[in-house]
Amino acid sequence: MTTLDTAKRVLAGPHRRVLYAFAAAATILVAGAVIHPGFGSWTSLRTMLVLASFIGFVGAGQMLVVLVGGIDLSMPWVLNGAAIVLTTSSLGQSGRLPLAVALALGVGAAVGLANGLGVAWLGVPAVVMTLGMNGVLQGLSLGLSKGLTCGSCASYAPEPLRRLVVGRLFGVPSELLLWAGVALFVTVLLTLTTFGRRVYAVGNNPRAAFLAGVGVRGVTVVLYMLSGVFAALAGITLVAYGGQPSLGLGDPYLFESIAAVVVGGVSILGGRGHYVGVVAGSVTLVAIVTLLQAERVPEYGRNVIYGLVILAILFTYGRERADD
Amino acid sequence: MSELRAATLGYAVLAATAIAYLVVYTTSLGHLPTPFDYLSLLNTSLPLVFVAIGQSLVVLTGGIDLSVGGMVGLGVAIVAAGSTSGAAVTAGWMLAAVGAGAACGAVNGLIVAKGRIAPILTTLATLSVYSGLALKVLPVPGGEISPAVRSVLTDPDVPTGLIWLGVAVAGWLVLRRTRFGMRVYAVGSDETAARAVGVPTVWVKVGVYALSGVCSGLAAVFYVSTTTSGDPNAGDSFILTSIAAVVVGGIAFAGGRGSALGAVAGAFALTLVIDVLFFAGIDPLYQSLFQGLFLVVAVLLGSLVRWRRA
Amino acid sequence: MMDTYAVHAEGVDRSFGGVRALRGASFAARPGEIHALAGENGAGKSTMIKVLCGLVKPDRGTVRVTGRLATAFQELSLLPDLTIAENLLLHDPPRGRLGLVVRRRLVPVAKEVLHEHGIDDLDPRTVTRDLSVAHRQVVELVRVLATRPEVLILDEPTAALQEQQVAWLAEHMRRLRAEGCCVVFTSHRWREIEALADRVTVFRNGTHVTTRERLTESEAVTLMSGRTLDATYPPLAPPGDTVALEARVGDVEVKLHRGEILGIGGLAGQGQRELFLTLFGAGRQKPAVTVGGTARTIRKPKDAIRAGIGIAYVPEDRKAEGLLLPMSVRDNLALATLERRSVAGFVRRAAEHRAVRDIVDRLAVRTASTGHPVGTLSGGNQQKVLMGRWLLSGAEVLLLFDVTRGVDAATKHDFYALVADLAAQGRAVLLYSSETEEIAHLCHRVLVMREGRVAAELEGPVGDAELIVAAAMREREHV
Repeated sequence: MTTLDTAKRVLAGPHRRVLYAFAAAATILVAGAVIHPGFGSWTSLRTMLVLASFIGFVGAGQMLVVLVGGIDLSMPWVLNGAAIVLTTSSLGQSGRLPLAVALALGVGAAVGLANGLGVAWLGVPAVVMTLGMNGVLQGLSLGLSKGLTCGSCASYAPEPLRRLVVGRLFGVPSELLLWAGVALFVTVLLTLTTFGRRVYAVGNNPRAAFLAGVGVRGVTVVLYMLSGVFAALAGITLVAYGGQPSLGLGDPYLFESIAAVVVGGVSILGGRGHYVGVVAGSVTLVAIVTLLQAERVPEYGRNVIYGLVILAILFTYGRERADD
Repeated sequence: MSELRAATLGYAVLAATAIAYLVVYTTSLGHLPTPFDYLSLLNTSLPLVFVAIGQSLVVLTGGIDLSVGGMVGLGVAIVAAGSTSGAAVTAGWMLAAVGAGAACGAVNGLIVAKGRIAPILTTLATLSVYSGLALKVLPVPGGEISPAVRSVLTDPDVPTGLIWLGVAVAGWLVLRRTRFGMRVYAVGSDETAARAVGVPTVWVKVGVYALSGVCSGLAAVFYVSTTTSGDPNAGDSFILTSIAAVVVGGIAFAGGRGSALGAVAGAFALTLVIDVLFFAGIDPLYQSLFQGLFLVVAVLLGSLVRWRRA
Repeated sequence: MMDTYAVHAEGVDRSFGGVRALRGASFAARPGEIHALAGENGAGKSTMIKVLCGLVKPDRGTVRVTGRLATAFQELSLLPDLTIAENLLLHDPPRGRLGLVVRRRLVPVAKEVLHEHGIDDLDPRTVTRDLSVAHRQVVELVRVLATRPEVLILDEPTAALQEQQVAWLAEHMRRLRAEGCCVVFTSHRWREIEALADRVTVFRNGTHVTTRERLTESEAVTLMSGRTLDATYPPLAPPGDTVALEARVGDVEVKLHRGEILGIGGLAGQGQRELFLTLFGAGRQKPAVTVGGTARTIRKPKDAIRAGIGIAYVPEDRKAEGLLLPMSVRDNLALATLERRSVAGFVRRAAEHRAVRDIVDRLAVRTASTGHPVGTLSGGNQQKVLMGRWLLSGAEVLLLFDVTRGVDAATKHDFYALVADLAAQGRAVLLYSSETEEIAHLCHRVLVMREGRVAAELEGPVGDAELIVAAAMREREHV
């Protein structure tokens, strides 16, 4: 009886959507394991988790801006640009790696700063500002690298970075440890710090937060900067994973970042959501695609089913409340 | 009169871009643009013009339609896959493309209005579905369109494109003069209040999303006609450019304010910018850099003007 | 049995979140009568009206309306981006051939509609966002009158109106009654109810109390609040003479002493709100303010909170400007003072828990736990949480703007005692209320505002609200 009551309270409470997100991930994984032998094996799970981690990184950034009712459409080319910056500045040499990583993350932070200033101070709608910055980054990436044909563009990611991303630590892929670190950072930031409290306050009601002394603009700018940094991190790890950057590397990640955030139970209207949900959301997305590929569903079918599954998830727990 | 004012930003941006175009064209080629230049500009702009009108309607209600990419792609696939035979058959498939757009759009509208799922999420999910359907219809780029059809739609030598542009603009002006048109603005201005005074908000929303689908279908028809073949992924670029056109056109993202004519001007301006960059001798690789700046600066100017007035 | 009512609701229940707005409420009005619906804020009047016109579905109960219904709401039904003409003619615009709207006919037709209703000073081309509140209300009323209703429901139609506009509306209400229309209205001004209504229904705590033809004001107040008029206001301790806050905002000079409750009176919308917001750093002007002896320029609320002895602002609209409804009681209480209980940016949760617990106990906030979303609390308890936030900040200057709006009688009583107590402890209070009674009884001194200026200064406690109203009106006649 009491456990039932507790269960009911949790289901009605603010963590309900996080639970739904995990339920969705579990459902897909179990369904996959039943339909496709080997889907549930550790090898396959490990691969899926590593792929999910890249979505997890962009999802972290996207979630932070969505929490204050914003959106970051500049992710694809921040990611791609950071990847190119990393290889062209490190030239595959380990010694240049720290500088290269700093530069790549710096690019992300700078773009995020521009986005944040545009949104918070100049009042440009987030969609427009970040869309414009995506174009700017795309143009700069293509132009400066001459369409990725420049002399240094053929460089690979330095070996230590590659080992970090594809290697293992204590038997666990180190990429997953990195993701765990990101998850810990975001969760601690949002739940244990004064900054986190302010983020949720701004997301729920910017006017009321302002009148309670919260620096709404400052909070917004920091969040967009973090979003840029996380997109850059995804770019760095992706290029380490694949070895070399490619054009269009970031394209799928705009859709994926928003989908992961929403499937993870974060309200697109802002103010509600937790990163653990986004982790589950990222896994769900990768599991769907992996399962469809394993079942040899043709590309068109994958797209259709992918969209329908997301719609189904939205109908289950992504609806806005009815107006009264 | 108010129509003109609502689209001021779009017209101003278009005028500025047009002047820049004339200047860089004449300085680089030594003569003014020829009628052929104008016509091909018009013809390449038409698909975006249509998508932008559809996007305007949705944004005017306070929504956003990301699935235009999928709907245009599906339309292109239908027309290209079906247009291997004569003109009459092609025309039939073109109607089918528009119909498919209407159906897809209506589904969007129903999910948004009845399902109460945020427009950006709804259309993000259906974008995937419609893109998938496009791939099913036309797995690889191809198809060919009969010259007869082409000469009616986008003849590069005769200004047929002008007629279609006229039809598009007239269509908007008529729509603006229906009760539905007034209600679109009502819903975008304040949905709760609109419901309180008896506006059927659900059906207005279904209507605008369906019309956005129709516009995407029409855009697909003109896209195939200008490019003479089909690519199922052709729609992708329209997602962001249509939003950009709407924004440059001065339509408020919160809904309720602006005119699709502004977005039409915005669509032309965005197409012109590419030519401006080309004739200015700027590396095409930098194209999106300038488009991005163009977008942000246009919006900043717009808000600056509004701010001054207030 | 067939009844002869034009409007009939029976046994209606309706809850919002955890708050029960209506419980078993009934209401009935006949054709050819003007029927007033009276009750305190939060008694369920507005919800009943929304139920009657179908905007809110009842959880339980039956509703029946006979005849063509038109409703004017308090604030929500003009479309801000549309012109007056478009708003008036949204449903029946002038059309030409092919059924298309003839846009250039919109303005003349709208002008005619306005003229028919005796309004000639409004340009139909004006976007309603740019209108004054009073004019917006007039347009809203013309909109509903023009539909030639058989049942007309008006929610607080006069709250924003000037005297002569009220007379104009009364004339139309009487005309409609003569034509057999059923007119239902709510009002906070008893004089209007007495002058207009054939019958009065009183609501209290979401339910029907009585329906009568004759009702004196004191009877009504007793019925509405469930208490008698007297003995509701606590005695005031004498104010000190140390200046707590001194500021000049536009043409208004405010000098507030410790221990003093300074009332800001006047009709609604005479610049009181802007004054409060400006003092708190959220207005357009950035005033130089002397707080507790130190001069500061207040640019944003954060400055006000940190200035000298601290300023706090409690708004009337808890949902829009005060609370973060989905967030917990704890988060809402702690928000303004987070950094005081933090180490290196981390919240010290134990200290926070103690501080929050202390406030909850002190203000007797009724909540199952401090982790519950504030939105699940009743209106009165929500208001306590908002007050508690500023008690936690230790602010010595309190700007209280119409904070008893939508609060039940018992909580109001607690609130009066709390304000008097805070003043007695030496805090300085600036108080505005849309219920002039409160200003009349709860303030040491009253500034009556009129069009952004101080029209009169009265020594308090004034005791008689009519004196304040008279001061506000007298000035108007002079202008």
